[in-house]
Amino acid sequence: MIQNRMVIRTGNQMIAEGALQAGCQFFAGYPITPASGIYKAMIEQLPSKNGVAISAPDEISALAYCVGASARGAKTMTATSGPGWALMIETVQYALMTELPVVIAMVQRLGPSTGGATQNAQGDILFTEFCTSGGYTIPMFAPSTPQECFEVTTIAFKWAELLRTPVVILSDKEVGMMAEDVNYALLNSAPPWYRKEFSSKNGEPHITYNFKNGGDIPFFAPVGGKDKVTMTGSAHNKQGALQKNSPETLEVLRHLQQKIDVHKEEMAIVRLDEQEKADTLIISFGITHRTAREAVKRARSSGKRVRLANVISLFPIPSKQLIEAASNVKRIIVAEENMTGQYRSVIRHLFDGKEIIGVNAVGTMISPEMILSEIL
Amino acid sequence: MVGTESKYLKENASFPFCKGCGHHHYVNYLDEALTKLNLDPEHVCIVSDIGCIGILDSLFSTPHTFHTTHGRSTAFATGIELADGILNDSKLKSIVVIGDGGSTIGLLHIVNAAMMNIDVTVLVANNFLYGMTGGQHSHFSPLDFVTPTTPAGNIVPPLDICSIVKSCGAQFVKQAVVTDKNLSSIVAEAIRYPGFALVEIFELCTEWATPFNKIDGKMLSSKVQFAEEDLPALRKEFSELYKEKILSVPLKKSDDGIEQKYSSPLRGTKRIVFAGTAGEKVQLASYLTMRAAIGSKLHATQKNDNPVTQGSGFSLSEVCLSSEEILYTGIDVPDVVIIASADGLKEVRANGILQRCRKNSLVLAEQTLPEFECGGTVLRLALRSLCTGSRASLSAFAAFNEITGWIPREAMNETFEQKFKEKSALYEKDIASLKPALAALLPKGVPV
Repeated sequence: MIQNRMVIRTGNQMIAEGALQAGCQFFAGYPITPASGIYKAMIEQLPSKNGVAISAPDEISALAYCVGASARGAKTMTATSGPGWALMIETVQYALMTELPVVIAMVQRLGPSTGGATQNAQGDILFTEFCTSGGYTIPMFAPSTPQECFEVTTIAFKWAELLRTPVVILSDKEVGMMAEDVNYALLNSAPPWYRKEFSSKNGEPHITYNFKNGGDIPFFAPVGGKDKVTMTGSAHNKQGALQKNSPETLEVLRHLQQKIDVHKEEMAIVRLDEQEKADTLIISFGITHRTAREAVKRARSSGKRVRLANVISLFPIPSKQLIEAASNVKRIIVAEENMTGQYRSVIRHLFDGKEIIGVNAVGTMISPEMILSEIL
Repeated sequence: MVGTESKYLKENASFPFCKGCGHHHYVNYLDEALTKLNLDPEHVCIVSDIGCIGILDSLFSTPHTFHTTHGRSTAFATGIELADGILNDSKLKSIVVIGDGGSTIGLLHIVNAAMMNIDVTVLVANNFLYGMTGGQHSHFSPLDFVTPTTPAGNIVPPLDICSIVKSCGAQFVKQAVVTDKNLSSIVAEAIRYPGFALVEIFELCTEWATPFNKIDGKMLSSKVQFAEEDLPALRKEFSELYKEKILSVPLKKSDDGIEQKYSSPLRGTKRIVFAGTAGEKVQLASYLTMRAAIGSKLHATQKNDNPVTQGSGFSLSEVCLSSEEILYTGIDVPDVVIIASADGLKEVRANGILQRCRKNSLVLAEQTLPEFECGGTVLRLALRSLCTGSRASLSAFAAFNEITGWIPREAMNETFEQKFKEKSALYEKDIASLKPALAALLPKGVPV
């Protein structure tokens, strides 16, 4: 039974609240259903916290404003949906290449193309993750409730700042636009984090992309600060000088992936609802995780032994945690609201020798019955 | 050509441009302009685009350089300047170095920066074609211009960037030939200008333009129209305006917290659909129901739907109320459907809600609606004539709730009073009229 003073909030509103909690200073937005609620909430609230919330003329500009502001030292965020993401991909790659932190809330709707603005889907998982030329990992976190939207947003900011890279919050229309009772006393959050800043020792000059080991994160100096910054989206050496394929340039390119890989374990969030001697594991995330919880509740009440995994950190794939979650089960059900089982397709190699079932839907929510019918 | 001694350029930098290319002058005049202004290099950011001119960032040793994607340089510079002007000390000068190709692909970014009057200086190097990729014509190519992609001459008139940004409110707009002796002064003025400034600089591409076209300095000079104008009165720069009008404006305090002072006797989950016409307070009905339920220690979820134009056609709202945490938020079989209008009926039929009703589903429908097929128990009430369209949805639920007691009456009343003040009496009247009619219709054995 819930207690105390409650408020009614949507997932979108809680992403905005989470951003404020994380110390976001700059938001640029362009309207798109079902993500507009984040834009509206940031416009309403950020200026009162001395931050900038600005309207851009399109999604390309929205993300470019954020990346420019990030280069000047601000913690930044934008929000969009599939059609807007399509336009942002150029600048997502630029942020990744220039190692500028930015958080992007991607609230999925039904595609392809304009698709269905007010219809839910979890069909942009691979579209969002694998958008870079070269296939670099973009950390991606998926909330399933307004409370998780708050928490996940603070986590997304932490990793964007810590790793100096774009990070995606993968929400969906149901999570984003549904309103629900929220108890602020029960909210969790990651502590606010700011990128590690460069400070010159013994007069050594700032080297924009300096690192010793590939997994290290270069110290940040803002454009407009006293240390010269040389940023470029072209292949470059540590100084930021355009180079084709010098050994150092290739080292920088490898570093972009290595710095993510090194922190893979720390980023992993898989929340297990354990049951002893479970023979089935259900994997889900986003809105479908709520449905899966309902299905598991009913299955257990009829004597089935089921374990449930809520994958919050979709990428980097939390392989170790998923393999552990699948220990001793015979059967794995991956429930996600898309046609082909996108997340299942990238994790199935972890479960050699086990039966893997997909529960999928397009244009309609997955119901508890759909999952229950696959629990033997 | 080699850069001379400069506070900004690399010593003995070897310019990467073709022999005779105007970019040599462009770089030197930009350096001269910075020298004239004696700007501290840490307060300069050269934001360069893609194309031959875009690689000039490598020639500068001390200012910050930000080499961007094709056409987007002005948008990145806008972001830098917003953060600098509003969140920092506003000392940074961002200078966009862009060609005619980049200005074409990124035209909206330039237009938007001009509209905002953000403190960005855009220096367009216009050589009428895409030099780096093989001399293809651009939107800036003059009529009859011959390039590898216009072998018979260009048949589309060129885009006039200066007139475009002028029409967007830009106040500092000038043109010059890259060899003009006063170019460094014009560029310096543009950088110093506290707002958006654009200079279109005409150049020759010796690789792709001069071999195929009659083009020379005289021809370039004839293009200069925006030159010696006096600057009109200043518009306020965007960041200044933002700080003045928007930043630090206190948040309108709206305490929307709900005190949970009542207790609902409901156990389990009830799923309710409100269906009616946009503008008739359908979604407000579900929102207030939700508030009253939460105030009675229930959990509640709400999902709204309406046509894309929002203000016309149907309005639909799905609410779940539960004593437990609500996990699955869909409504496969509704417990209650309230249909207040023909728009609502059309929608619950179209999206399958009516078809999903089962015997125990109660459908409270406006009595003047035509007959419809439904698996649930349909109760027809004079919702619109007794309560008016805009109170029909909420009054229907409230009257129903009086019978079921899912939400304590005190919680409903308090919600009504908070929202409607003295007008809540109208709802009380509605409920008093609807309740006996509804009670008479409720079939025996239907669990509520």
